[in-house]
Amino acid sequence: MNILEVEDLSMSFGGLQALRDINFAVPAGEILGIMGANGAGKTTLFGLIAGHARPTGGAIRFEGVRIDGLRPDKLSRAGIARTFQIVKPFAAMSVLDNVVVAALFGARRERRHAAAEARAREILAEVGLEARAGDLAASLTLSGQKRLEIARALATEPKLIMLDEVMAGLTATEVNEMLDAIRAIKARRTLTILIVEHVMRALMRLSDRILVLHHGEMIAEGPPATIAGDARVIEAYLGQEE
Amino acid sequence: MKLLPAGLGLAFLLAAMAAVPQFADEYIVGVALSLAMWIALTESWVLLSGLTGYVSLGHVVFYGIGSYVGVLVWQQVPMWQMIALAGLSSGLFALVVGYPVLRVRGPYFVMLTFGIAELVKFVVIDIEAQLGEFSRLVLGGPSVTDLYYVMLGMAAAAVVLTYAVGRSRAGYALRAIRENEEAAETVGVPVARYKLAVFALSAVIPGMVGAVMAVRSSYFEPSQAFDPVISFTIVTMAIIGGSDNARGPLVGSAFLVILSELLWDRAPQMYMILLGLLLIAFVLFAPGGVTAWRLPRFGGARR
Repeated sequence: MNILEVEDLSMSFGGLQALRDINFAVPAGEILGIMGANGAGKTTLFGLIAGHARPTGGAIRFEGVRIDGLRPDKLSRAGIARTFQIVKPFAAMSVLDNVVVAALFGARRERRHAAAEARAREILAEVGLEARAGDLAASLTLSGQKRLEIARALATEPKLIMLDEVMAGLTATEVNEMLDAIRAIKARRTLTILIVEHVMRALMRLSDRILVLHHGEMIAEGPPATIAGDARVIEAYLGQEE
Repeated sequence: MKLLPAGLGLAFLLAAMAAVPQFADEYIVGVALSLAMWIALTESWVLLSGLTGYVSLGHVVFYGIGSYVGVLVWQQVPMWQMIALAGLSSGLFALVVGYPVLRVRGPYFVMLTFGIAELVKFVVIDIEAQLGEFSRLVLGGPSVTDLYYVMLGMAAAAVVLTYAVGRSRAGYALRAIRENEEAAETVGVPVARYKLAVFALSAVIPGMVGAVMAVRSSYFEPSQAFDPVISFTIVTMAIIGGSDNARGPLVGSAFLVILSELLWDRAPQMYMILLGLLLIAFVLFAPGGVTAWRLPRFGGARR
């Protein structure tokens, strides 16, 4: 069964067409990688699915129900979570409280504070932040804040999580740790993952399938091995020889 | 959990303040009344602005509306009904203006709240002029001591309200809104609803306070009931005391009320100069206020 279906999705900002007629479907449990150069429309796509903007055309279905145009908090409640490429921590709150908020709201909607806190601590341990629980979120390094983004998204108890460049700016060691963490997180849950990444090697290793965007259009879709050899993808990435 | 000591400290403070009329003269009771008033107002402000980061520079509008409604029904209904009506009117007004006003943040919100307070002030001045009323007498009210007990009750209610909301599920949502509204919405916080609810909630007690103060001063004059200095004073008290929790306003209000008592008759300019200097010093060097100085509290979970 497809958990997410995107049909003829288009988005323009004034005269700029950020996405044009995007069509794809994601079976439940899949890891779908989304590739594309800067400005290809990856983050716009996430924004539309998470409800941050209303598409100018097309439809988005989550578990068979139209969701385009719904507010982010409604979608979070329905089971869609995302991280932000430019991290948005609740800076003056503790690392723990950042995650507790998500457990109190989101799809989990934990009413009891103690239960929310216990859940938040478990999730912090999954992303390797348990030792920093009492520190202010602002005091984390970039790598730590990216992990916090993931922890916060997971604490909402999503069915679909969208990871927006969670490995950008990390060292090679940190990238490997992050890959392991994501795999372990996936193994423990029934989770569908959409992942946007510039670190190509990581994307190839993690994804079941890859979708390539170029100037707002979908130019390729398939398993990593096929994508790596696709002429249009290579052209889009490396440029055409004159 | 430090719940118990906090509750005990508060109960002790309340008992001490309730005992003031037993041993002090009417002047001191008047000072205590003014302290209770500032605590009630500043706590209400912290509930909104401290928790959500939406800084209201027009909180006097709720006080003024409460005053006006109170004066209009004065001696037509029992006093408790007058106070309830005043609180209700301010809360309703907040619900109505809150929806559009809370769509803007930062300096725009600050200016908008200030502007609305001034707008309502001039509307009331105009209505009163049309009615041929330039200031209304509010006579036949209870004694200062009785009014003091009413005000003390409202101050206690405001402290408990801010404390309870601050520690609740809603408190987490409001702080998340303060820190990053988009992220808060993304983790499932219905931000528009929470903002509107807390805006209305923070208006109710100031409305009730305004009605009581009209009785206390025994007259009503719009430019005094809607005096922007009241808004400024609330913000100053919150900044000096700290605005992330219910303790800050207690410290800030007590500090400024005592300072004003010490300096106001003898050296009014000195008081204003000192106030300005303190405000600058706190904003620059201690933006969390006095109560943020002992930072790691509540198991390190809160700021």
